[in-house]
Amino acid sequence: MAKLALLFLFALPLLLSLTSLLPLHCNAFSVDRPTDRRLLVLVDDLAIRSSHSRFFSSLQARGYDLDLRHADDPGLALRRYGQYLYDGLILFSPSVQRFGGSLDLAAVLDFVDAGHDLILAADSSTSDLIREIATECGVDFDEDPAAMVIDHTSYAVSETEGDHTLIASDDFIKSDVILGDKKIEAPVLFRGIGHSLNTANSLVLKVLPASPAAYSANPLMKLSSPPSLTGSAISLVSIVQARNNARILITGSLDMFSNRFLKSGVQKAGRSIKHEKSGNEQFVTEISKWVFHERGHLKAVNVHHHKVGETNEPSMYRINDDLEYSVEIYEWSGSSWEPYVADDVQVQFYMMSPYVLKTLATDHKGLYSTSFKVPDVYGVFQFKVEHQKLGYTSLSLSKQIPVRPFRHNEYERFITTAFPYYGASFSTMVAFFIFSIVYLYNK
Amino acid sequence: MDFYYSVLSLFYIKQQGSSIVLLDADVIFDSIKAHGQSDGRYRYDSDNSEPSTHAAGIALETLAGVLSLADSDMDQSKIEVVKNDIVKLFDSIKSYDDGTLYFDEKRIGDTEYRGPLATTASVVHGVTAFAAIVSGKLEINGDKMAGLAKFFLSIGIPGRTNDIYIQLESLSCLENNRISIPLILSFPAAVLSLSSKDRLKADVTTVFGSAAPPLTVNLVQVFSPDSEDVPILENKELQCDPENSIHYLDLLPLKVDVGKYILFFEISLHDPDHLNIYATGGRIKAFFFFTGIIKADKAAVGIFDTDAENAVALQKLDLSRDNTVSLAANHLKKMHLNFQLLTPLGHTFKPHQVFLKLRHESKVEHIFALESSAGKYKVLLDFLGLVEKFYYLSGRYDIKLAVGDAAMENSFLRAIGHIDLDLPQSPEKAAPPPPQPIDPYLRFVPKQEISHIFRAPEKRPPEELSSAFLVLTLLPLVGFLIGLLHLGVNLKGFPSSSVPVFCSILFHGGIGAILLLYVFFWLKLDLFTTLEALGLLGVFLIFVGHRTLSHHASTPTKLKTT
Repeated sequence: MAKLALLFLFALPLLLSLTSLLPLHCNAFSVDRPTDRRLLVLVDDLAIRSSHSRFFSSLQARGYDLDLRHADDPGLALRRYGQYLYDGLILFSPSVQRFGGSLDLAAVLDFVDAGHDLILAADSSTSDLIREIATECGVDFDEDPAAMVIDHTSYAVSETEGDHTLIASDDFIKSDVILGDKKIEAPVLFRGIGHSLNTANSLVLKVLPASPAAYSANPLMKLSSPPSLTGSAISLVSIVQARNNARILITGSLDMFSNRFLKSGVQKAGRSIKHEKSGNEQFVTEISKWVFHERGHLKAVNVHHHKVGETNEPSMYRINDDLEYSVEIYEWSGSSWEPYVADDVQVQFYMMSPYVLKTLATDHKGLYSTSFKVPDVYGVFQFKVEHQKLGYTSLSLSKQIPVRPFRHNEYERFITTAFPYYGASFSTMVAFFIFSIVYLYNK
Repeated sequence: MDFYYSVLSLFYIKQQGSSIVLLDADVIFDSIKAHGQSDGRYRYDSDNSEPSTHAAGIALETLAGVLSLADSDMDQSKIEVVKNDIVKLFDSIKSYDDGTLYFDEKRIGDTEYRGPLATTASVVHGVTAFAAIVSGKLEINGDKMAGLAKFFLSIGIPGRTNDIYIQLESLSCLENNRISIPLILSFPAAVLSLSSKDRLKADVTTVFGSAAPPLTVNLVQVFSPDSEDVPILENKELQCDPENSIHYLDLLPLKVDVGKYILFFEISLHDPDHLNIYATGGRIKAFFFFTGIIKADKAAVGIFDTDAENAVALQKLDLSRDNTVSLAANHLKKMHLNFQLLTPLGHTFKPHQVFLKLRHESKVEHIFALESSAGKYKVLLDFLGLVEKFYYLSGRYDIKLAVGDAAMENSFLRAIGHIDLDLPQSPEKAAPPPPQPIDPYLRFVPKQEISHIFRAPEKRPPEELSSAFLVLTLLPLVGFLIGLLHLGVNLKGFPSSSVPVFCSILFHGGIGAILLLYVFFWLKLDLFTTLEALGLLGVFLIFVGHRTLSHHASTPTKLKTT
């Protein structure tokens, strides 16, 4: 007995220390700090470590732990014992036919479905595996394996590349969240394959479309039939913001991230301005900040509703009550939660269809509130806040509240229309009183 | 590996000036050689590690160190064996399509793999060190050295510091090696514009950019990619500009048209002795683009009837700017478009991209690739056959023409105008037009505000009407009181003695109290308190009333008798 007790005494602090270690392990991608921490980078040629070193070192300078492995590495795994080892995946391996270790198409899609982020870069030698991953994300690469995006009006003027596959593009999506608030002055250099977006998919967005004169074809051969991808339907860089707030970046040019493109100057065909540095570095840095949740991640806390004039939250409202609804929304700035300022957060009072829809007013410190009158329909309603904005995570809050009709004693008490009836009964009472006296004592 | 570090440290010490002699040099030589394989690769240690090319480079460097530290001459046959090993090692060299050569190893797990850069660098280092020490020539083709030099130069500027170190160290080994110094032929520009009269320039230097010995660059052959057998040009010598040390060739006298070409160059050294020292790299292939302004003219567009061909109806187009031609047609007509593309030399030009785009208002787009015949581009769009392709959509279509090529300096996308097409109704089984993507900016627009319209309260009669009826209901009471007064009622029957008076007063008071209770119940009381009070009052009233009424009944009345 005494021995058992001693054993227990020793085991207890050990258990406590182990349990305290577990939260540390999950410190990476938690609700409080949504920025990713650990990234797995898969390459198909280890020389990419060197040729894309500026991109990787900029990621490391922002605090990410990069684990760079060859795509065939037999020790690859995204999960171990049910927990995810990484918060984000960067696939810079366009020609890999099969991943090593326990990674395959289903594992990558599970990873994204669990809310984690993905950057996928393809090339003119893209394998079927990478194409399938892209198709599952809503993006279709050109089926012709030898095709590249060619643009004879929007190419980058160069003394060594003459076949117009090096494209300088500056038709960015207008979103400060995705591309940062500083405008990208210089065009972005791109060389690779183009993709088109699945029109039925409402979650995928074109960040950088090709110009209207672009087309996707094999530059070495004459065209026998019109190409299937032309014009602005070709997207050079696309993003997907999934409903579980996982973010995916898909692009057809691995060279866009390379040191050479990041450092080189660019001059767009037809323009006389020669930029000293291409917009690649700014573009790639800002969009990777968005993909890894350093920007544009919202959280909504402290949902309160109460009757006007009271402070506690009732469990039920009565029709025609005046109520106030408030919610606090914060935006993650990469290191802390800042108040989110927007003028189109709306709340719905909803039962099968919205009865009331109002825009919430903000006090610029993160508090959004409004007040309205409860409709005169009774039932079980919901306060629904569904906020979706380009580049921001979607907010979807709902709180159920029943609404009851009037109680019997909450109606109007004395109605002027009924005065004749009051008059009738009271006059009868008075007459009875007088009559009882008079009749008894009359002689 | 131990040998490597110890021998090389002794070698560096010897280079500083002290005289070191390695005893048993041939024993050491043999033991290093024992690590070698028959295919030229070496093993790192004598235990069972895998043979690798990287280790071969290290071993060769060690052997070179041993040879330089040896006091007496090594057995020449042993050196020949090593030379043969080197030749065999070079058999495992790999190459890319453009003539670059490198060494690589199979990846066995991730631990020992060093990558082609480190492996090639190690071999270059070892071979050049060995060649520096050994007398006599190594049987390595100069072209191979040139290929290895191209490999190191083609990486560009590596991002990692140790890759930069490997690259620069290998290039410096190649710069001054005793086998053959590679000469690199580079072109500052591969895209030459005929319209701005660019010259074909070529530069010959060593790997680090120092000057090459006197030589001439010959343009041996020029092919166009279409006809790879028949050369367009042959044997032109590039002139030398000694101030800028550039070789150049004027293009205009050559009468070369715009397009993409494959050029073959050869370097010929002036001094025949230099052939042993320098490697010229043989026949060097390079791709060039000659660009120029393409003239697009004689453009016209018009609508024809199916049967007639009316040349008058064509409208002229100016393809140097956007046009706004307005056409109208139905499915029985045809649209005709023709234009001509000429190169600066006057030949017909076939660009890579010649598209005619028709775009409907609903953003459905149709593209036609145009073919040229007899030097002209002519297209006749027969709408009768295209009705199904256009998904039976009638309406306005914007017409655009896109012409582009790598050799064209003025590729364009011009608006031609628009055409109002009247197509027949679509039959039920026709395929619907493909869905178009939704504009992302419109997807996230805030919704319209909804405020609930409350049910209107029931209509009530106006207040004046209710007040009027109130007065009307009170009128009978007034009438009753007046009637009573008229009848001349009196209260003579009120009892006079004290107890009955008391009871009567209480009786009538009780009735009044009950009536007041009703009023209070109507105003604010609830049923329970009312019933309690009513119960109490009622009981009280029973007793009092009984007394009063029995008293009243007992007093004689004159009514019964008369």
